[in-house]
Amino acid sequence: MASASAILLKRAALGFALLGGGLLSPDYGIAAGAAAEIDTAHLPGPAKWQDLPDWSGVWRETRNTIFDHSSIQPPDASSGTPGAREFPPLTDKWEKIYAHNRDLAAKGQFPDPITMCGVPAGFPRVFNLPDVYEFVVRPEESWILSENGPNVMRIYTDGRDHPAKEDRWLTYTGDSVGYWDGDTLVFSTVAVKNEGTILDRTGLTLSDEMTSITRMRKIDDDLIEAELTITDPIALTEPWRVTVQFERLPDGARVYDYACAENNRNPVTDTGHTVTLGPDGKPLDDLPGE
Amino acid sequence: MTLHVALLKRRVAFQVAGALIGLAVTAVPASAHHSANAFDNAKIVELNGTVKEFQWTNPHTWIQLYVVDDNGSRVEWSIEGGSPGTLSRAGWRPSTFKNGAKVRVKVHPMKNGEAAGIFVGAKFEDGSSLGRW
Repeated sequence: MASASAILLKRAALGFALLGGGLLSPDYGIAAGAAAEIDTAHLPGPAKWQDLPDWSGVWRETRNTIFDHSSIQPPDASSGTPGAREFPPLTDKWEKIYAHNRDLAAKGQFPDPITMCGVPAGFPRVFNLPDVYEFVVRPEESWILSENGPNVMRIYTDGRDHPAKEDRWLTYTGDSVGYWDGDTLVFSTVAVKNEGTILDRTGLTLSDEMTSITRMRKIDDDLIEAELTITDPIALTEPWRVTVQFERLPDGARVYDYACAENNRNPVTDTGHTVTLGPDGKPLDDLPGE
Repeated sequence: MTLHVALLKRRVAFQVAGALIGLAVTAVPASAHHSANAFDNAKIVELNGTVKEFQWTNPHTWIQLYVVDDNGSRVEWSIEGGSPGTLSRAGWRPSTFKNGAKVRVKVHPMKNGEAAGIFVGAKFEDGSSLGRW
């Protein structure tokens, strides 16, 4: 154990030196003060097959679908807890938007877009879904697959850059390019359509100007961690770091179809109420003003 | 040291949880797809009824349960559960609620008193139970 501590100290010292005063997280080896940008114009290209980590299996989020567990209040809240909120470094403008959304949520008029059965979860919410995940890695490209939705997120690691700014358009998962830093998948995400999506049901959203650097690593046989550094000049006053973890299900677990429109008995009305349909197909809810 | 012990504890806890999933049929939150704002999570109602139909469908499963109310009238309750994928990984099957089976079911009811709720637990005639009972 003494030698392990010595190694950690060495790594911390090295990180301090490399980052000019930043710190290395001793358990993961990820630079806690890492830059919120990578040079996507000069990516190293595909990794070698033999250097890729084994991320096979079925995974699920270790905690409930609150996006930022480090700042949620009350600390044990779920997204349905009255008054629950997170504390990202929001601009005044976005603080007002979040307050408005929380007010709507309290009145049952802040529908979850995924309830519509057709709107993708988008990024970064693709890291914050119930049900299970698969993470498929190849040298030139990796995929994040969520059963819920389903959602597919593609991450190119073949050395390509993002499209030129004038050639981009906003999509729900955006455009992701990156590289393998040892056993860590590092990628940049841009061109994300955030309007019309959410991060979680507390009412938290970001703007279409959001970009992110994600570092994903398997930190032990049963745990994968994704650390997101999110930048948004409209919604955030500074980069916002969020960590999510996924635990491996027992061997043999299966992933299934998720046909959201198959029997959706919780449609959303024009006034934003999520209703429950009875056996005759009519809403059971009392809808004020309708 | 602390880190290694914490990881070991977490791993052991997860393996135990995994083993339990294999042995027992567990409850799974039903609100994976929409806000549960219309339901009273602080309240539990116990229903004693007969299964009309079990809708093993996405995005949610639904138990349609005939319940005789205090006035002697038959009321059809709609009881919402998790997705088939998530429930199957927790030990549920399409045959878990058979048509005509008598079963007691606990639900978080709708706040407005309508005959619908979120599944909490169930107890079958053979004494076995499911979810939180």
